[in-house]
Amino acid sequence: MMRKRGLELGRWKGLLYVLPALVVVAVFTVYPLLRAFLMSFYTKYKFSTDTVLSYGINNYTYIFGDSVFQKALSNTFIYVLFVVPISIAISLVLAVMLNEKIRLRSFFQTVYFLPYVTSVVAMGIVFGWLFHSNYGLLNYFLGLFGIQPVQWLNRPSTALPALIIFSIWKSLAFNIIIFLAGLQTIGAHYYQAARVDSAGRWRQFSRITVPLLSPIIAYAFIIGLISSFKVYAEVYALFGGRAGPADSCITIVYYLYRQFYVNWNFGIASAAAVVLFLIILAFTVIQLRVAKRRVHY
Amino acid sequence: MKKLLATLLTVCMLLSLAVFTGAAADTQPVTVEFWHAMSGGLQNALVALTDKFNAENGLGITINLTNQGGYTDLSTKLLGAIASDTLPDMAQVYNSWIASSLDVVIPLDDFIAADFDNYEDILPGYRAEGAEFGPTYTIAFNKSVQVFFYNKTKYDELNLTAPTTWQELHDVTKAYYEATGMAAFGYDDLFGMFLQYMLQNDAGFVADGQVVFNNEKGVEAMTFLLDLFANGYARTAGEDRYLSGPFNNGLVGGYIGSSAGAAYVKPDGFEYGAAAIPVGVKPAAMQAGTNLTMFAKDPAKQAAAWEYIKFLTSTESTVYWAMNTGYLPIRQSGFESDEFQAYMETSVVARACYAQTANMAFESAFPGAQEIRNKLSSEMEAAILEGKTAEQTITDMAAAAQEILDRQ
Amino acid sequence: MRYKSAKALSKSLIYLVLTLGAVTTILPFLWMILTSLKGGTEVILMPPRLFPSVWHFDNYSRAMEAAPLATYFVNTVVVTVTSTSLMLIVTTLAAFGFSRLKFPGRDVVFGILLATLMIPGEMLIITNFVTISRLGWMDTRAALIVPFMASVFYIYLLRQFFRKVPDTLYYAAKVDACSDWRYLWKVMVPINKQAMSTIAILNAIACWNAFLWPLMVTNSETKRVLSIGLVQFQTEAGTDYELLMAAASMLVLPIILMYLVMHKQIIKGVTQSGIKG
Repeated sequence: MMRKRGLELGRWKGLLYVLPALVVVAVFTVYPLLRAFLMSFYTKYKFSTDTVLSYGINNYTYIFGDSVFQKALSNTFIYVLFVVPISIAISLVLAVMLNEKIRLRSFFQTVYFLPYVTSVVAMGIVFGWLFHSNYGLLNYFLGLFGIQPVQWLNRPSTALPALIIFSIWKSLAFNIIIFLAGLQTIGAHYYQAARVDSAGRWRQFSRITVPLLSPIIAYAFIIGLISSFKVYAEVYALFGGRAGPADSCITIVYYLYRQFYVNWNFGIASAAAVVLFLIILAFTVIQLRVAKRRVHY
Repeated sequence: MKKLLATLLTVCMLLSLAVFTGAAADTQPVTVEFWHAMSGGLQNALVALTDKFNAENGLGITINLTNQGGYTDLSTKLLGAIASDTLPDMAQVYNSWIASSLDVVIPLDDFIAADFDNYEDILPGYRAEGAEFGPTYTIAFNKSVQVFFYNKTKYDELNLTAPTTWQELHDVTKAYYEATGMAAFGYDDLFGMFLQYMLQNDAGFVADGQVVFNNEKGVEAMTFLLDLFANGYARTAGEDRYLSGPFNNGLVGGYIGSSAGAAYVKPDGFEYGAAAIPVGVKPAAMQAGTNLTMFAKDPAKQAAAWEYIKFLTSTESTVYWAMNTGYLPIRQSGFESDEFQAYMETSVVARACYAQTANMAFESAFPGAQEIRNKLSSEMEAAILEGKTAEQTITDMAAAAQEILDRQ
Repeated sequence: MRYKSAKALSKSLIYLVLTLGAVTTILPFLWMILTSLKGGTEVILMPPRLFPSVWHFDNYSRAMEAAPLATYFVNTVVVTVTSTSLMLIVTTLAAFGFSRLKFPGRDVVFGILLATLMIPGEMLIITNFVTISRLGWMDTRAALIVPFMASVFYIYLLRQFFRKVPDTLYYAAKVDACSDWRYLWKVMVPINKQAMSTIAILNAIACWNAFLWPLMVTNSETKRVLSIGLVQFQTEAGTDYELLMAAASMLVLPIILMYLVMHKQIIKGVTQSGIKG
């Protein structure tokens, strides 16, 4: 009898380990999240007294009829499609290079860490300058190849590509940092063994590095996906507090932020948040399924 | 029902007023929490004024200043404070922030009637703004007005003078463009530009929850505006964010901007001028900047906050404030004071502001106003970028604005 | 011979790529530092000049006058250190629970945790503001620390690292009658030291730079943190970029120092213990 109860308790012991985290997340994330979910059904709401005058699905029908929200959806999808894979590929290659036995390794590692601590305002300004139609370095280089100056940040058609380039650059630091942490847990003996087999660099990379790093790559993918779907700060920084020329670079979170804090349409903002949540959820589930088959633990 | 409630409230107010005027005699120490968004040099000036008030009021009142970041941060924080019932005793606000929460704001009419130094002395545009919801909910504090900045060196060279009417604006910018190949006009705030031209042409904007600018006069004003851009006489800030940047570099010959931004006009190798903005059928020089409002429920705190408001808006304080910040005196007597007259001799921007004191118009606040501002700003930019016709632009803007109004 | 020249070639390729990357990476940072030393008119010049014509070191003293930086600095250190230590403990426990231990509903609970990442943090601010004021934590350090004690972001990352540790180690430990608790601190934590310090650094940076939340939940100068000092230089009409960048540079300096110190420590730790995957 006693033994059995001990076993019963033992089954729950794991829960004790995760309990502190659960309490904090429940109070400061799950609770507000549920409130946002409820709020998305408030159609008439008085904020100052927190009284709901009527419920309904009008907020959802509104956002799906709103051309700005549609623009935000398509921009966000295009953004995620380009930024996540490209950023992971580039940072993986850079991380592997930074992990090589090279001179100035420590210096390089520190430099690649810098964007993580540089003021977002400074980054936005510098990229605004790199993309500037008259003085920008980018147009200068394009000019060397005889390409006419591009109005990167002034035209709706080129503003999104500019945003994507900026975001890839900005997201490299985080990925490199976690890949480096991952690479350093791969024992040197794997590579020694590979060298004995005289495996080339590419084979080492594809047969050892990628498989052994796969849990971390999977993490980077999911986190990259989630945070790219939530893109906001990059838009704000690059266009100096606007959503690009004539709102052409508006994203879902930018839309949501504006509806909540500027327009004070709490219901509409919450509905947009719920839609965003469902989209990310769907993608994450798909990705976890794929990862389950591919990731090597 | 509403009327009755309002009357009841007023009676309560008056009663409490009577209570505190009686209580003010024995000086109980009171602390008043004041949230503001004044940073840098503006904050220094506000602190200096407040320190003076705290030291000299003789009523045991202490004002506790709390800087809550920029305007957006302050409005977000006020939003949270409304939700959690933790509002400060008073704050700096744009009227649009309180438009849908008037029930938490204290009307000031009784205070003004009972104890205020010559309310009529406050510029009419500011009084109108303070009372735009009916009762007076706010009192002007840090106010600025749009002025026309221009490249005086180039103007003199080309024998041009600052335009005073639409026709002159067209002719001057055309001449400038043809002589230099550069745009000569622009506006940082595209919605502000739109609104100004609608009001100047007497097209109206929004009245009683209905869009009214979709009329012939609106189309006429829009045609005038879009032509300036289409011909290259005007440009948007675009990638440069603020026109003061290209202006300082001599890349745009002039622009309309807030007088409070004068500190950022630092021309590189030329002299700049500032003038009253060109006027249309009506003058409509748009005023900007925030106001003071009171949230305190406790009569003692209300009385103390009122003492402070009286102090901040006094002629002496408003002149000090204007001279140290680049904002404007809110009182006629402030403009006319010897000190400010002497200051105007040295400041071309202050003179341009003074020339417009009778012409000021304000951007009205109503539920949905912020959303319309954003939406139309984007529509305006799209119209310029895509070369839309004036009729189409006005129709689209009116539809977008009406949709927002109908949702409120 | 062929192998050697190929190796030399790939080495130089590595240097070339890394240098190009480093230049683009360092440019915004450099710009931040150099701008902090420029005069007011120079900052907004177009085309921009990289180096100041006159070096304005006084920008730093001017920036420091704008806010009680000493108090803010102490507060920031206290909040960052406390918050990061607590976060590390809570995260380690949770990551261990979710990767190694089994309990009913574990995967469902983890799924819910993951799902919370999908809501943008911007949505949560007002509700959390109300929660904090109901708890009576307004204008206290608890408001700055407690909400960030658990980070799903890092629980997930650490869980991935913990799962890389071979099962055999765990069962070997079990045979030696090692409790889960001991196994966690004596085996898992040392093996994943690199990952944990990475998390600590990332969290400390986020905490150090956090702006909106600290501004929302504090009112008095004695509770405020450094990042709030940054708003001093932005007004509706424009921004004093040179002072803003001076303050921003001062803000990141301690982080870079911390990174350099911890970085050395990590490299040393890795080479000494010869951690194997």
